[in-house]
Amino acid sequence: MFKPVMVVVVLSTGLAGLGGIPAHGEPIPQTAKPASQLEAWHREFDDICSRTEDAMTYTPTELEALIRRCDALRPKLEKLDETRRKVYLERLRMCRGLYAYVLESKRNENK
Amino acid sequence: MRTNEHGRSLVVLICGVSLLTALGHGQIYLPKSAPAQPSDFGKVILDNYSSPDGPGPVVFDHWLHRSKFTCRLCHVDIGFAMEAKATGIRAATNEQGFHCGACHDGKRQFGGKSTFAACSGNGGGKECKRCHSLNKSGARKYEYKSFTAKLPKGLYGVDWEAAEKAHKINLIDSVEGISVKRAPMQTRPDFSIKAGMPWVHPIVFSHEKHAVWNGCELCHPEIFPSARKETLRDSMFLNINGRYCGACHGKVAYPLNNCSGCHPRGPTWVDSER
Repeated sequence: MFKPVMVVVVLSTGLAGLGGIPAHGEPIPQTAKPASQLEAWHREFDDICSRTEDAMTYTPTELEALIRRCDALRPKLEKLDETRRKVYLERLRMCRGLYAYVLESKRNENK
Repeated sequence: MRTNEHGRSLVVLICGVSLLTALGHGQIYLPKSAPAQPSDFGKVILDNYSSPDGPGPVVFDHWLHRSKFTCRLCHVDIGFAMEAKATGIRAATNEQGFHCGACHDGKRQFGGKSTFAACSGNGGGKECKRCHSLNKSGARKYEYKSFTAKLPKGLYGVDWEAAEKAHKINLIDSVEGISVKRAPMQTRPDFSIKAGMPWVHPIVFSHEKHAVWNGCELCHPEIFPSARKETLRDSMFLNINGRYCGACHGKVAYPLNNCSGCHPRGPTWVDSER
């Protein structure tokens, strides 16, 4: 009944409809992606900011490294769309601020 | 006698003028009154973008959300600023899954109940009124009095600490996809802060009590910017003006005139031997 060409066209259209053609408009971020599916900036953000709870256990050298990572990540966040930029820059500012605070406190302890 | 009366009047006059001058120059801070009703602690009216053609101002009940979530979840992970007009909440940001929409997406479940989707346009406007409810009678689903009826109370409304201890509330500290997965908190020990005035016993500051709700980065360095202890000198005046402890106490937590909340041993003349 079906010619091979028709089968290919139908299959291609179906596959494209399932996920091959991006939707128009601004993509809405998914809220619960596995870590492996997150964008590189997001994985780096999560890794940096997941350490705030035990910031006091880090050495000054480790804290300095975390602060450097925050500074390196910032330009990447500045390229995001307006809302994500604002939210994640603010969150990064808080993480960085805490690490700098703990670093200062450790340096004061050693004086 | 007459000279004495003149002298007294002169002293009173000088004191009065000095006081007024100091007040005028902002050298003396008068405490800002705490919210009159417990339900008004932390209440926010959001009217930046929603009026006059939109659905009207949003009324945000802080008590309702603090009964379910830690401070950190909203103010760190979701990114709600602690000062007015700093967050930039819009219908579009909610729809994209940020701000209110981080939880209110119509899918997430808390306590076995699904959240409604903020600013989704569904529900024919009925859902809009749940938040855009200023001066709309009956629009809000929860009322303070009935909602908090079974929670322990203190002088200033719900005693949240007691409520959590008694497992009347179980605060959620992270939301999947929003919160960063963190290691368990390494709680810092409690410590005392010497009072600035000699007639008051030291403050007993519980790091544990504060950190369990706030995490570390909500207070440091934004509210307590320096690790040096001497920077807290004379901070009572700054507290009253909304800095340091006053960033929360008097706004969303018990007010600063509840002296024994922070100075549990009170003034030194009451009992210095306790």
